[in-house]
Amino acid sequence: MSLMVAGVDIGSLCTKTVILSAERKILSFNILRSGAVYRGAAESSLNEALKTLGFNIKDLKYVVSTGYGRARVPFADAEVTEITCHARGANYFFPEVRTVIDIGGQDSKVIRVNETGQAVRFVMNDKCAAGTGRFLEVMAGALGVDLEEMSEIALYAHEDIEVSSTCTVFAESEIISLLAGGYEKREIAAAIYKAIARRITGLTGQIGLVEKVAMTGGVAKSGGVVRALEKKLGVALLIPPEPQIVGACGAALIAREKALP
Amino acid sequence: MEYKLNRLKTTSLIGPMVDKHWEGLRLAKQKGEKVAWCSGPLFIFPYAMNMKCHFMAGYAAYCGGRNQADRLLEIAEDDGDLPDTCSYHRLHMGMAAAVEKGIPVKEEVILPIPDLMISGRLCPEMSHYAEGLYRKMGIRVVGVDAAPPHREEDMLPMERFFERQIKENLIPALEEVCGRPFDYDRMSEILAVLKKTAELRNECWEYFKKTPSPWTLWDYGVSIAPVFYLMGNPETIPYYEKLKAELAERAEQNVGAVEPEKYRLYWDGWLPWGFLGKFIRKMAPFGAVPLVGRYPWEFFPHPERIEPYPDPVRTFVKQVYSDGGLARANLPALALPEICKWIETYSIDGLIMFSSKTCRMWNMGHPDTIDEIERRYGIPGVVIEADMVDSRMLSEAQIDTRLSALFEMIETRKKARKR
Amino acid sequence: MERILKKFFELTANPYGSLAEWKEKNKKKVIGCYPMQLPEEIIHAAGMLPVIIWRSNEPVTMGHAHIAPFNCGLTRSFVDDAVKGKLSFLDGVVFYRMCLQAQSLPFIIERNACPSYMEYLYLPALYPGASIRDYLIEEFERLKKSLEEFGGQEITVQSLNRSISVYNRNRRLLAEVYALRREKPGLIKGREMQAIVNSSMLMPKEEHNRLLEELIPELKKRSPADQKVRVVIYGGLCQTVQPEVLDLIESLGMVIVDDDMYVGSRYFANEVEASEKPVESLANRYLKKLPPCPTKGDWETDWTDYVIEIVKRNKAQGVITMLVKFCPPHLCYYPDLKRKFAEHGIPEVLIELEHEVISLEQTRTRLQSFIEIIGGV
Ligand code: SF4
Ligand code: SF4
Repeated sequence: MSLMVAGVDIGSLCTKTVILSAERKILSFNILRSGAVYRGAAESSLNEALKTLGFNIKDLKYVVSTGYGRARVPFADAEVTEITCHARGANYFFPEVRTVIDIGGQDSKVIRVNETGQAVRFVMNDKCAAGTGRFLEVMAGALGVDLEEMSEIALYAHEDIEVSSTCTVFAESEIISLLAGGYEKREIAAAIYKAIARRITGLTGQIGLVEKVAMTGGVAKSGGVVRALEKKLGVALLIPPEPQIVGACGAALIAREKALP
Repeated sequence: MEYKLNRLKTTSLIGPMVDKHWEGLRLAKQKGEKVAWCSGPLFIFPYAMNMKCHFMAGYAAYCGGRNQADRLLEIAEDDGDLPDTCSYHRLHMGMAAAVEKGIPVKEEVILPIPDLMISGRLCPEMSHYAEGLYRKMGIRVVGVDAAPPHREEDMLPMERFFERQIKENLIPALEEVCGRPFDYDRMSEILAVLKKTAELRNECWEYFKKTPSPWTLWDYGVSIAPVFYLMGNPETIPYYEKLKAELAERAEQNVGAVEPEKYRLYWDGWLPWGFLGKFIRKMAPFGAVPLVGRYPWEFFPHPERIEPYPDPVRTFVKQVYSDGGLARANLPALALPEICKWIETYSIDGLIMFSSKTCRMWNMGHPDTIDEIERRYGIPGVVIEADMVDSRMLSEAQIDTRLSALFEMIETRKKARKR
Repeated sequence: MERILKKFFELTANPYGSLAEWKEKNKKKVIGCYPMQLPEEIIHAAGMLPVIIWRSNEPVTMGHAHIAPFNCGLTRSFVDDAVKGKLSFLDGVVFYRMCLQAQSLPFIIERNACPSYMEYLYLPALYPGASIRDYLIEEFERLKKSLEEFGGQEITVQSLNRSISVYNRNRRLLAEVYALRREKPGLIKGREMQAIVNSSMLMPKEEHNRLLEELIPELKKRSPADQKVRVVIYGGLCQTVQPEVLDLIESLGMVIVDDDMYVGSRYFANEVEASEKPVESLANRYLKKLPPCPTKGDWETDWTDYVIEIVKRNKAQGVITMLVKFCPPHLCYYPDLKRKFAEHGIPEVLIELEHEVISLEQTRTRLQSFIEIIGGV
């Protein structure tokens, strides 16, 4: 192996690692639920990813960290924000993408990307929980289903109802009262997705929606959110095979640029 | 609890009148008529010039009532507006964006791009909206500053200032846009109709004193247009005549709007235009009826003092300030004595302070007002945090809890008083 | 130099103690002014100390029993301080109608702080027409008269002109500090600059002038930090930015070359001309359209153009929007600002200033992404 670099994305829920070759090929990746200690999580995730290749940290030429825990990764050579990394990563999977929607655990972002994968503008929602992974989890909890199930049942919603509140606390109690009011879980699930989609559409409005549009981050795995968002935005979303590692992949790409300019 | 909501027959006549108004506006351009958009109580001036005129809060209420507000708010956000901004402001930005960019919206809420924007700065946001539209579309603006006073002694200087701006800025601008002198006679005619309508309305107000009350604040809320942006329309007189007759009949037969009537409520702030049905269905099962509120009472509460001739501008200016409700309703300091009066006049049992998250005109001072009323009358109150048209700011669970809390408090007080 | 800056930091971090002490020593009245446009000179000429109302360092607690959380930080914090009795040293408060928050606030303050003097001005929008100017002068005259009554001291043409010249001197000195920074960005840290302007709002101008006269030559001796990415900050209506946010900007490799902030260049913009009719001169200052203030109702002067001009003049590479959370005048304007910055190819990032800051992590991510966009990675 001539040259190997890594990107580590330490999010609030999961830590992701991508190992990249000099030819910009993904050699391996790993996804790990982050504990309270970012440092340990970053190291474990990186080691896991390297193990499958039979290498260790010393063999890496350059490591870039990103995500909320990016500043607390002692072995990283540089730290770059997830905005830049998601832009770069999305460009890697889909060079024609100009807008990236990333819904993470604690926040959501919409990023305008140019043809070289550079972020040119972005908006971020970090004030309101709706439109985040956490919101989705809390809502699934209130419905008493898991995330996959929730996405599944929403497909069968017949009636159009609204969860109007975008505040997690409000929305949770609203869901409980909808359940008490005899509404089916499937309708409520669909309403939750709609609420998220509306919140995200509000964000895209601030920088404008330019096609093509990719969605990254763990929430992109939720069919329910993707369907609701596509409907609301009126565009098809491009979703990488493993949307959760896009940030780490972007970090690895930057590491690759730094190591081999 | 078994309850009955007795709907009035007359109020169903409002829909067509209001529709006609907005339709007239929509079609004005095709007919070669001039159009104005207006905030604050100034639309009477373009009306006098035979212009079609929109009115900011009236339009927002109309969109709310037609369930179109959410759609317009969404368009505004897609165009970059932030949700903390006044929802009436956002709604208008959404409308403008829709017209400008050809974004599909329901035809009934479409407004034509105006020839003139009148910024009546009763609330600074009303100015921001005109400024924003000017920046967006370059439409001519004329501004009239119209601050609500904090103290009675500030009333007259402000009234004079208001009058001067109308005479020196607004009227000349209208004359220029229309290319002819201002029509004072037409303004007098409008005021004469308004006087008659508002006098009838005052007679209807009398029925709020009855227990059970034959109508609710909601019924009056949907009947505001005739004493505001429908002013001058001759149909407004028979409307209130019919309404009065229906109320008289109900009173005679002792029929209440909500039966049984248990709690008589004061409602502060905006009426929840997008959610009137939702709220009444939450209150009626408890026998709770909203009867009086400072917003719906601000519209020409003293029509007997309107003197359409010889100086319509003078009498109008006085109606807004020293003779009126508008200047007294908008700030808590001057509204407080009015609220006290209503509590006595209409035998109120409790207060609901409707605190609109994005309207800082009507969300400040609520807790202190409750304290003061509680101290003077031993009447409880609650604050409900929501919005008049933005459904995302409404939490059903919060509303239910606060309403139940209010009714429990009223019960406890009543029991304590009996003992 | 460090001594003076330390004094400024101490005063701005805790104005309550310093002001109460000053009052005790000088036996003068202290009058709180709601930002941003009141003619402090009139209060000064009445023999009292005008201070600009500030935001406390504490999260709002008891105040929320009187004001809803969806109002701007300054307003909520002021109510909170009033309810907690922290403002008892204020002899009076002057408000004016600049935004909705300020419009209903006197009702709450009157009931909960009970200052012995309270005045409320209805300063008009900058709409065209002579009536605006006449009314404005009427309002300033009304303030003058009521202060004369309250203080028992006549405000003469001479005394008012004297006050005006003290204030003008302060404006000139502050402008000098700004010129220094423009010339050598990095010479004065963001938090220092803010404290320099903020302290002017909280102490007698005569004393501030003396301190600035001492400080300026010392500042000139400093050597600026390395050249970094040049940015302009704008907005921040009525209130200060958490110093940590300013530090963050610098620690990420940016340097603030200039600003269009209230606790910044807006405060000392436009001198008042000395004249036989000083009240009219004060009115003339209010009527100036630049710097554009979104609370003034002037639809013709474009704020964005003004900020862009500052960016260009300073060869800045980006703009940071300091948007006070729940501040309607800025909120209503923001979509147009944002759009126009983009049209001009000026990178911009939004920082929402909240009163209660729980964590700066997200602000860091925004700012770091911003510099990655400008400077690459
Ligand atoms: S803030 Fe309130 S009063 Fe002002 S324009 Fe908005 S809704 Fe109307
Ligand atoms: S910061 Fe904004 S909302 Fe707050 S007082 Fe100032 S202008 Fe008003």
